[in-house]
Amino acid sequence: MATPMIELDRVAKHYGGQAAVADVSFTIDKGEFIALMGPSGCGKTTTLRMIAGLDQPSSGEIRLWGRRLNEDAPWERDAPLVWQSYALFPFLSVRKNVEFGLKQRRLPAPERRKKAEEWMERLGIAGFAERGIDQLSGGQRQRVALARALALEPEMLLLDEPLSALDPHLRVRMQSELVRLHRELGITFICVTHSHSEAFAMADRVVIMNEGRIQQIGAPREIHRRAANRFVAEFVGGNNLFTGTARVEANGAIALESPVGTVHAPAPSEGGPASGTTATLVVPADRIELASAGTGTGNEVTARVVTVEFVGTTVTVFLETEGGGELRAQRSLHEIENTPLAVGQPVVARWSPSQGFFLPG
Amino acid sequence: MTRAPAGGRAPPAGLALPGTSPEGFMSETAPAPASSTAPPATVPSRRATGARFALFWGAPPALWQAAFFLVPLGFLVAMTFWSVKNFRLTPDSTLANWVFILNASFFRNAYVYTFWLSVFTALIASVAAFPAAYTLAYKVSPAARRFMIFMLVVPFFTSYPVRIYSTQIFFSPQGIINSALAPLGLGPLHVLNTPTGTVVGYLVLTLPLVVLLQTFALANVPRTLIEAAHNLGCGRFRTIATVIIPSARIGLIVAGTFAFVLAFGDYVAPTYLGGSKPPTLSILIADQVKSGNNWPRASVVAVMMIVTLMVVMLVMIGLAYGRRKGRA
Repeated sequence: MATPMIELDRVAKHYGGQAAVADVSFTIDKGEFIALMGPSGCGKTTTLRMIAGLDQPSSGEIRLWGRRLNEDAPWERDAPLVWQSYALFPFLSVRKNVEFGLKQRRLPAPERRKKAEEWMERLGIAGFAERGIDQLSGGQRQRVALARALALEPEMLLLDEPLSALDPHLRVRMQSELVRLHRELGITFICVTHSHSEAFAMADRVVIMNEGRIQQIGAPREIHRRAANRFVAEFVGGNNLFTGTARVEANGAIALESPVGTVHAPAPSEGGPASGTTATLVVPADRIELASAGTGTGNEVTARVVTVEFVGTTVTVFLETEGGGELRAQRSLHEIENTPLAVGQPVVARWSPSQGFFLPG
Repeated sequence: MTRAPAGGRAPPAGLALPGTSPEGFMSETAPAPASSTAPPATVPSRRATGARFALFWGAPPALWQAAFFLVPLGFLVAMTFWSVKNFRLTPDSTLANWVFILNASFFRNAYVYTFWLSVFTALIASVAAFPAAYTLAYKVSPAARRFMIFMLVVPFFTSYPVRIYSTQIFFSPQGIINSALAPLGLGPLHVLNTPTGTVVGYLVLTLPLVVLLQTFALANVPRTLIEAAHNLGCGRFRTIATVIIPSARIGLIVAGTFAFVLAFGDYVAPTYLGGSKPPTLSILIADQVKSGNNWPRASVVAVMMIVTLMVVMLVMIGLAYGRRKGRA
């Protein structure tokens, strides 16, 4: 296999006695959109800063095209970063901010100006070229920060929580714009975010971290449908986790005695739970249908409605069974228009056994 | 400092009087001043309380300043028009003192000398202090920074003339420095009773303060801006010029201006280290009073100094807070 563009090899970063990043290894290919995701304090930002050279790894090696990068000063690297706070220079105009990196590379003034002009045009900020930073809105600042980084025409772009300072409707727009820029430029994007919806919407691959360690690396779909452990299954949201005692059935499928009742799922291809052991079954909430009456096939659980939450046209229904087991179902508004869902109302939650999967171990 | 971009910036502390709480601010937009309208009951009472609060705490320092600064200042200005007859001060309204002083070559020479020596001191102090301030702001642990800041305040524990006397001992012909240089076949250094001596004294006075002010100014530069400069290919030294100095501009200018102001009005260093050769403006004032009891002429010199300081302050504040040309 060809050398990957970026390799992190057993990288760790300690502050005093604390490990911000404990032991992280992964590779990034040219042109990938990678999201580093995890709760705050999980080490994702430190990992990004080490790639930029703003923090030094305590141990391990970071390589770019096979060459050790650890000792390179940040100004010797080609890894512009877009800060969460944008970190624009308030004493310079928009144009001078965009030209800043080009000037450091001793590009002659006319070329500098031309390039800056191009990028300001491309990001729709050419109209503000002469303004000061304090005269811009948050969304405009974001674009200036992007233009300032991209004007260097780097082979990778680092983004630290790029959308979290924007208001929600701008966030969605910027999200699709980042995806478009990534596609058009063909360079590597490495984006830190704590939001799984952001990560899953933008990235080709997601690296999920917790407490300085990688929990899972995979494509968004893979992580949603095959969480590697309990942390991932809970962190990505929208999953039901049923823990109980497993029983291997005659047809090879597994039945689980869980708080919501006995539910069935196929055995995983390898390392499935043995009879009598404790296992955790994950059922994505969007795979659970709601109906007024059961049909007698698949998994069916009768439960009462506890809360109904509306987010746009998506409805999350929280349910509780007679035995105190909890589960939730996520449906589109139109799918449940004809299902009565008053609080306290009994409904049947059902899903096909093949939609559930067991956590390894 | 200039840290926060617009948006969530809090109002400057000086404006945060009770009357400018959000509610107070809203009522400020009412068309007429409070005294001439009868707004709803609760609003004026709260505003009145706020005004009383401000008056209660604001009045004593205001009265103090009026009694011991404004009144003497008015008196000083008035005295420039008085005359001295038989060594006795006589109220008058003559311009003779102004004409005499402004035409006197000793005044003009002293004025130019004092001004440029103070400018020079401000520049030297600013340049000399910067590496120390940079180290304190960025390169040492917070504990070491606290200790060093404490050490920078220590010189102010002893009175300034005492410090100047001890400096005199250092530089005297048989002093510590010359005795150390002599065995090496160097020196003797002639610092006492020269302009160099005056500048040394000025630096004794101003350097600790300039280091302190610069340290605070540099510590307030957002770290992310420095990192952003590094990230965009700007090495350590270039970052100082391209990002740190522009970001800390206000604080650095204030520090330099302080050095100028202190040096410009100082009497001790030019007298005891500079040997009054040549005299500075503060020495001229003392001379006018001592020889001939000429308070009015001394007052003219003093008023000229105050006017100069005001102009310098205004120019420096304009320089600190003004928009830069390069930006538009």
